[in-house]
Amino acid sequence: MLKKILPNDIYEIINSKVNYKVVNEIRLRADKPIVLILGSQRVFLGQNGITNNLKYAIYSSKIMVEDVIFRASECSIYSVNEQLKKGYLVTKGGIRLGIGGDLIEEAGKVKTMTNFNSVNIRLPHEIKNCSLSAFNYIVQNNGILNTLIISPPGAGKTTFLRDFVCQLSERNYAYNVLVLDERGEFDLGASGSIGNFADKISFASKKIGFENGIRSLSPNLIVTDELGQKEDVEAVLYATNSGVSVLASAHSDTLENFIKKPSFEELISNKIFKRYILLSQRNGPGTMEGIYDENFSRLR
Amino acid sequence: MKLFVLVVISCVSIYVGYLCSKKYKVRANFFQAMVYLCQKFDVEINYSRERVKNIFLGLDEKQKNKLKGIDINYLSFIDKEAPLEKAMLFKDINFLKEEEKDLIFMFFKGLGRSDVDSQSKEIKNFQNRFETLSANANNENKKYGSLSIKLGFIAGLFILVVFI
Repeated sequence: MLKKILPNDIYEIINSKVNYKVVNEIRLRADKPIVLILGSQRVFLGQNGITNNLKYAIYSSKIMVEDVIFRASECSIYSVNEQLKKGYLVTKGGIRLGIGGDLIEEAGKVKTMTNFNSVNIRLPHEIKNCSLSAFNYIVQNNGILNTLIISPPGAGKTTFLRDFVCQLSERNYAYNVLVLDERGEFDLGASGSIGNFADKISFASKKIGFENGIRSLSPNLIVTDELGQKEDVEAVLYATNSGVSVLASAHSDTLENFIKKPSFEELISNKIFKRYILLSQRNGPGTMEGIYDENFSRLR
Repeated sequence: MKLFVLVVISCVSIYVGYLCSKKYKVRANFFQAMVYLCQKFDVEINYSRERVKNIFLGLDEKQKNKLKGIDINYLSFIDKEAPLEKAMLFKDINFLKEEEKDLIFMFFKGLGRSDVDSQSKEIKNFQNRFETLSANANNENKKYGSLSIKLGFIAGLFILVVFI
């Protein structure tokens, strides 16, 4: 998919002179050098591959940025407008693009985004078995415990969730799993999978997705990414009150900062989540910093 | 022998007349197909947000034939095989005037570049202009198309009569 969205010359350099497996992000900004994020390292892209010298860096233009977004939308910006309004775009192969540009507002509502000036291409990488060390802490004899994955952006939350769903399938656990993929990020195309026993609802809000999914697909477990809004918390409460387990993720760099977030107060005080798993980028995306119980006592 | 040569020459002149008339027919069909394309785009974009490529691929064979390969040329841009340039878009298309090519090029250049409302308005605007061109091309076809055949036939007959 990257080949389809990047200019041919840029793709050729990345493909032939950069180790694609370690590239997490490609950042293009109008009239600025192209930056690659490799783990926690930031480097420029040059004609001969990566470079730390600005003199050899390749610069991206506004036209290049616009063309990447146009290509990523499959040459159909109108078909991804709802995503653009929220500042992102997800391609078929699960590549996530964060987009900077001008938001057009009309009658207090965002109508669209135009005049694109930067794009952050986040490359998904399947890290096989990355959820295994936490598996037995989540899956217990009496079912799957409500679990929240906590990490800063780019530390492997989605990868963890995807792998966990896959592990359930591979181990033949008799659970109906519903993946609520609000932003289309679970789809890795041919290179990844969510297993054989999971249903998926895409591009629906958590409120609608949880309600419809529970009614129509009777799941034992709902897996979803990035809780944050009040409505998301309500959706989780709706699911747990309906007897459905929830495996979700949330943004935060430390457990202390997470506990301070007002939107999660109700979930924390009512001990809805029985497990908290903290991830970081310390040794690359998916580094497990700790597993905690509902009282935030460390289990591992 | 002489009679045979005369018959061949008169047939050739009739055929030339037919070829001239065909150009008008092709133009009329082409603009008709462009109007149809606009209508299809408007419906598909508003109803299902269908991708540009799928809309082209979903055209029926009759419409595709009328477009004389401009759809295939455009798809090669979508598939990143060629840049969107006039020479590429109108490759093997020689029945359009320069100002018509400019208009059609602008149409293709704007496809998929904006949100539904803007795209829909833009397409409607182009549809109006293609409808005018289609009406003109139809009139030309009626007027000059049949005239070309008639002239070819008369020329052929004239050759026969003069030389026999």
